[in-house]
Amino acid sequence: MTPENLLLRPLITQKCTLGCPVLDRCLGGGIPCNSITELVAESGCGKTQICLQLALTAQLPIPLGGLSASSIFIHTEFPFPSRRLHQLSLAFRSSHPPIFGGDPCDYIFVQGVHSVDQLLGILTKMEQFVENSRAQLPVRLIVIDSIAALFRSEFDNTPVELKRRSSLFFKISGKLKSLAKRFGLAVVVTNQVVDLVGPEGINGLRIGNLASLCSSGRRVCPALGLAWANCVNSRLFLARHEEVDKEENELVDVNLQSTRSRRRLHVVFAPHLPESCCEFVITRKGIFGVEREQNAAKRNEA
Amino acid sequence: MEVGRLPISASQRGKLISAGYTTLSSLSSLSPSDLALGAQTAWDMLHEDEMFPRITTSCLDLDNVLGGGINCKEVTEIGGVPGIGKTQLGIQLAVNVQIPVDYGGLGAKAIYIDTEGSFMVERVLQIAEACIEDMTECNGLLRKDFQAGQLKMHPNNILENIFYFRVCSYTEQIALTNYLDKFISEHKDVKVVIVDSVTFHFRQDFDDMALRTRLLSGIALKLMKLAKEHGLAVVLLNQVTTKYIEGSFQLTLALGDSWSHSCTNRVILYWNGNERYAYIDKSPSLRSASAPYSVTSKGIRNSASNCKRIRMM
Repeated sequence: MTPENLLLRPLITQKCTLGCPVLDRCLGGGIPCNSITELVAESGCGKTQICLQLALTAQLPIPLGGLSASSIFIHTEFPFPSRRLHQLSLAFRSSHPPIFGGDPCDYIFVQGVHSVDQLLGILTKMEQFVENSRAQLPVRLIVIDSIAALFRSEFDNTPVELKRRSSLFFKISGKLKSLAKRFGLAVVVTNQVVDLVGPEGINGLRIGNLASLCSSGRRVCPALGLAWANCVNSRLFLARHEEVDKEENELVDVNLQSTRSRRRLHVVFAPHLPESCCEFVITRKGIFGVEREQNAAKRNEA
Repeated sequence: MEVGRLPISASQRGKLISAGYTTLSSLSSLSPSDLALGAQTAWDMLHEDEMFPRITTSCLDLDNVLGGGINCKEVTEIGGVPGIGKTQLGIQLAVNVQIPVDYGGLGAKAIYIDTEGSFMVERVLQIAEACIEDMTECNGLLRKDFQAGQLKMHPNNILENIFYFRVCSYTEQIALTNYLDKFISEHKDVKVVIVDSVTFHFRQDFDDMALRTRLLSGIALKLMKLAKEHGLAVVLLNQVTTKYIEGSFQLTLALGDSWSHSCTNRVILYWNGNERYAYIDKSPSLRSASAPYSVTSKGIRNSASNCKRIRMM
């Protein structure tokens, strides 16, 4: 047993770009390798969008912030959004010169999973799969979208069942981290939210940089509880809230004010990132960060 | 008469001979306390405590409630929710143990055992650079009159002096714990062993919970022995879990009741409003007290709400 020579490691952990410099800046470069990053959001906030986008940007060459890699996309909700993936891949191909001379979708291995046991089975076989992938385009990104769906129906709410559920979290996380370390993989896992009924109780426990997580005007908290929170290295929260369109305030009758969906990405906790947040939009071409005006001006001056 | 002929057990004989007592006459003039080589008077122990420096956390308030910093020769457990700063504190200690003796530190090296994969080199470099900056500033303020040498530390030196091990299963963790004694005997300048976290690999399902308890006690004993024999600090980072007591939930450190007896000191990190606090939950020598701290780009520092203080070393 010898200690690892830290000087031989790259001085900045390798990361997979999200395909947008604004988002990358918020995340210190992108999604880190050798680590599990959790994306928490209510439905329709963009978790799956980010995952699909990552599966494409992972294929970018390393100088462009990619991992020059293929990815494994495990989905637990059906059907898999193949049409959206196709739409994103067209945008990806048009903005980047042909990299591998094929359809980017060929380098995304999709697997549907229906139960926890099936997921564990796949994780066991994954080591061999990733090993074999080294011959062509190695796998360097694993996405599980979403982990919550697997657990929310199978377990009763009794202490014994919850304990069993917790053990499974650690088992899954242990396997993922072991794979991540062995092959330098970036692992992204998405999670859902539950409504927070009262601030008291275990769900009201503060975890991370935000005193409370709000989305669509409600207080929420990530599903799967404290045990799962201990299983991930970083947690990112995607929030959405409706904002009244300010420009039209004076001109339009109050009853006819239109609202706009504003979306934000928050860093809840991460070993390498300070508290930060970033606004983003979802377009046909993908997810892109929106720079705050004063930041853009500062950078233009410099 | 030869000691070899005395009617005593082989191990006792061996100990006497290796201590240099080979004949009965050499023993006859001794008192029991001379022979009890391992025993010390309480006065000696107090004196020894004062000679063992503590490792600073870079937060004055936190150091104060810890009696000056993390104590060598003891096992300190630090637990808290995700994102409260356990890994940050672990990295800060791995850097601070290297502060040269001239600057009030130990000038020693660190062992960092990573079970979760939260250790990122860029963060260690950030904290190392800030530590060197602080020392250089201190150099400028206090040492204008002295001919003391320029601080020659570079963040890469700090990285070099952290022996980093990544373990991916509980068997690896146990094997490494068993190996540490040998490693530390070969690297006597290690003065802190940090395990981040001691819990992770033990929270999977064990078919036999009694086995888990045995394995954990084994680890605890080995680490306590390491701390005592080599005079180093052992810092165990732990996770929190919930326990249902009398109908309501309570936060508690993971690994169960039997583990809670295994550490000398226990510190709990928690949120109080928007501030991070550390609470001394258990210690043979420290009062229960809380101290605020913050996690900044430089590492662990005083809480921002307090007025700025210059750290005099």
